[in-house]
Amino acid sequence: MIDFMLIFRILVFPGFTFVLFLTLFCDWVERKIEARIQNRVGPMVAGPGGILQPLADFIKLLTKEDITPRDAKKTIFKFAPLVAFSIMVFAMAFLPIDGGSVISASGFNGDLIIILAFVTIANFLLFLAGWASCNPYGSIGSARVLTQFLGYDIPLTLLALTPAFIAGSLNIFSIAYIQVTQLLPFILLAPWAFVLFIITMQAELEKDPFDIPHADSEVVGGLETEYTGGKLAFLHLTRDVQIVFGAALVVELFLGGPYGPVFFGLPEFWYSLWFILKLLAVVIITEYITTVFARLRIDQVLRANWKILLPAAILSLVLTVAMVTWIYPMVV
Amino acid sequence: MPNSSIDIINVIESKLKDKVQIQKGQLSTAAITVSNGLHRDVIQAMVDADPYTAISAITGLDLGASLGVYYHVRTSNAFLTIKAEVPKENPKIQTITDITPSGVFHELEVSDLFGVAFEGNPLPGHFVLPETWPQGIYPLRKDVNANEVKLDPPLEEEKKPSEGKLVKIIIGPQHPALLEPEKFAVTVDGETVTKVEPRIGYVHRGIEKASESRTYLQDIYLVERICGICTTIHAADFCETVEKLLKAEVPQRAKYLRVIALELNRLHSHFLTLGHAGLEIGYETLFQYFWRDREPIMDLIELTSGSRVYPSIMTIGGVRRDLKDTDLPKIKTTLIELRKKLPFYRQVYENEPSLRARMKNVGILKREDALKLGVVGPVARGSGVDIDVRKDEPYEAYSEIPFKEIVYQDGDTWARMNVRMDEVEESINIIEYALDHLPTGPFRVKVPRVVPPGEAVNRVEAPRGELFCYIKSNGTAMPERVKVRTPTYANIPSFLKTAIGENIADVPPNFVSLDPCFSCTDR
Amino acid sequence: MADTKTWARVKSPWVLHFNSGSCNGCDIEIVSLLTPKYDVERFGVKLEPSPRHADVLLVTGAVTKQCEERLKRVYDQMPQPKFVVAIGACACSGGVFNGCYNVVGGVDKVIPVTAYIPGCAPRPEALMDGVVKLLNALSPPKPKKQAKQEKLVEAPKEEVKPPDAPILEVPTTPILQDAKSIIEETKLDAKQ
Repeated sequence: MIDFMLIFRILVFPGFTFVLFLTLFCDWVERKIEARIQNRVGPMVAGPGGILQPLADFIKLLTKEDITPRDAKKTIFKFAPLVAFSIMVFAMAFLPIDGGSVISASGFNGDLIIILAFVTIANFLLFLAGWASCNPYGSIGSARVLTQFLGYDIPLTLLALTPAFIAGSLNIFSIAYIQVTQLLPFILLAPWAFVLFIITMQAELEKDPFDIPHADSEVVGGLETEYTGGKLAFLHLTRDVQIVFGAALVVELFLGGPYGPVFFGLPEFWYSLWFILKLLAVVIITEYITTVFARLRIDQVLRANWKILLPAAILSLVLTVAMVTWIYPMVV
Repeated sequence: MPNSSIDIINVIESKLKDKVQIQKGQLSTAAITVSNGLHRDVIQAMVDADPYTAISAITGLDLGASLGVYYHVRTSNAFLTIKAEVPKENPKIQTITDITPSGVFHELEVSDLFGVAFEGNPLPGHFVLPETWPQGIYPLRKDVNANEVKLDPPLEEEKKPSEGKLVKIIIGPQHPALLEPEKFAVTVDGETVTKVEPRIGYVHRGIEKASESRTYLQDIYLVERICGICTTIHAADFCETVEKLLKAEVPQRAKYLRVIALELNRLHSHFLTLGHAGLEIGYETLFQYFWRDREPIMDLIELTSGSRVYPSIMTIGGVRRDLKDTDLPKIKTTLIELRKKLPFYRQVYENEPSLRARMKNVGILKREDALKLGVVGPVARGSGVDIDVRKDEPYEAYSEIPFKEIVYQDGDTWARMNVRMDEVEESINIIEYALDHLPTGPFRVKVPRVVPPGEAVNRVEAPRGELFCYIKSNGTAMPERVKVRTPTYANIPSFLKTAIGENIADVPPNFVSLDPCFSCTDR
Repeated sequence: MADTKTWARVKSPWVLHFNSGSCNGCDIEIVSLLTPKYDVERFGVKLEPSPRHADVLLVTGAVTKQCEERLKRVYDQMPQPKFVVAIGACACSGGVFNGCYNVVGGVDKVIPVTAYIPGCAPRPEALMDGVVKLLNALSPPKPKKQAKQEKLVEAPKEEVKPPDAPILEVPTTPILQDAKSIIEETKLDAKQ
């Protein structure tokens, strides 16, 4: 018996097509914000207000000639971008976007851990992509990606566990739902974790001030240097989906996910609307941080991680445990 | 301006009395003719007496049967030319790079273009000419027709085995950090730089040779295209040298108008560098803001001369066109608006943590190294060396206009950028003073087309440092030899020194802080 | 399908800038395009670091002999479809440096060129005009819209004068003479 509803949910909404268009839309939002802060206008010609610009970039890249360098490791070179993209889209499937996750039976009691693992695997595949191109700039760029995300994974996991601890569950659906029904959104209950999580997410997503793997004044194109055509399109898309995913994780863990007041009609419509609005708010905040800071050096980034963020993440967890055990039962 | 009372000619006379001929008042302070070998003693005496001694330029000349090697040496309060000659059949001369390391690049260029062999400073392959240029053909000699030279076939790239864990990263010639093509082979050990090997010559167009087959007036338009950023100062330097040969007196109004054009050029060049530095440290927002504020300056340049990038306002005997009184209010209001924006940028440089993290204590050039290597301009003034040609040897109307010389002691990238920021304010002050005290009168004087035979040198302060020009004329309407030494040429050796031991990520900001202009370097 | 391809290519031209021996004048004007006053990102133009990512190669400078090989290599590394724009008088024909010993003289002697933007240095408005003209030349004209426009816009009544009518009066005594005539004059002067 073919479940048409399930296929619709996977392929169109809130599955693959929706995620794709949401990614392209967030890319446009980012470019406009960056342009406005820099006193410019940003894309204007492709579509009304330039909204079709990311789509034009994507289609143009798909139509370019595909070049594989002679010395590259062919299989990894060809498939790493596509596999990384698929993993990120699959990770999005676990997040409740319209009230339930894409595959309603897929949410289980540890899916927060597994999607963090997916992010790590996708980053590792990006490292492999740069390494397989056998280009000095590619190798340096991918080595930097590796150093950065391996370091920042640890505080990211610790900080992601903070809302899990307050909610008493590792299931994303429960974490998001509890914020609206029983407790307050965790941005109010654990604001220190929220701030640290945003900073760690900036590093994980390789945005300024932790922008080093994409520092074009030092490593030319970084891990993307040798990629052309469709593979480059998927590399760019992977990065953009990562950014949307990071923002979506912030929304789920700290802002109550898609849940909010339902006024009339379908709850799914309102849930999706709240999700998109909260997502845009987080994307705007992270893009603002990106534009306002310069790029730090790799040793400064590593020092920031091991000497500042990791101890802060541990302290934040300890503080949250203390608050939950003693203070909150009295107040909430 | 260094506070010095050393009488360098006295020092040389006392040490080498009868062995050299000193002609005082020639070619700036004095011209000293030496026979082979004694140039070392003269330079040694100068270096011992005055720490500010550095080679400003070395000019090669084709004198018919022999090749002239002229050393132009700068001290704290004098500028001397030491003339040596070598026969063409055996053009060997001893190097002076062991006495003063500031002469390395200059000697290599004379070797490449004239074929003079400096014993102790051998030429590896080609320096300024392309790698495929045949050996033994020296384009700047008079008997060589360089246009008919056939290049060798391209070299095969040797795949050298990597030396253990040292990785060689090639920066350039096509690189997003550099606006211009140059190659730097940076050897890194992990993330630390151990060696930098430059390869210049990608922008070598042969301007010095081309200027010998054009008239003086045509040469202005050739020489000002050595660089599109500091174009006005190149033209001014050339015109002043020719006016020295002609013994022409430029009218007062023309001098003030020249100062205004030169300071506008300095303003736009400094804004360009300050913005470019932002791009190198990943601070795109700062880059956009600096270049947004640069546009009113370009509008002023267009208002006063007719063109944004190539004002072409200098001509021999004055300026090409006058400043209208109706334009003065517009210039003044733009400068007032510009001045209001400076406190914002100062505050960013003082307080922005990511910028300070990338620029503070990066690329430190100590004062002793700056003196020994003979660096010029904001690079020198950022390391505590107080040289500025506008104060040391005032030209145009600079002796009448009060302004401060900006010196910082730290010697790092942050100090060099701050020198430029403060110089922006000083330039605004100079322009406003010049506009308020603009004398009336003619704005150019008619000069003969044929220049009497002779030689002249001239130095000016370009935005990047001391710009030097030497012209020899032979009594016709075309020069015999034009030599230009640009400030970046003198500053690159300091980069080779300050980059060592730093993180590879510090190489771009360090590099941009010396404000490299390779079209100036290669000519 | 072909329409979408062309639409995407026209709306998203990524450029790579290569300096093959230029004095920097044209290069600063290219970088000025990215700044707030001109903002070429409106057209979707992005400055890319690697030749493999770019569609349009902006070349400045009279090609020096050292750069000739590198320019060819950069051009070869770009994926199809690719376009080359020669910016400035030096890139078009060698400019002031035509005839100098280390200069090839003009980009089209090395790689095929799609568009020429003359000027020394061309203003940013001229650069944008060139880029827009190139993009318009890539997309085929749409017949329906043209008919509509012809109705709305009236043809200008006065014809614009062709450029062979001189706009400025040429002074009778030339300001710049060529070298040969000056040498002849000075010989005469010396004789007298």
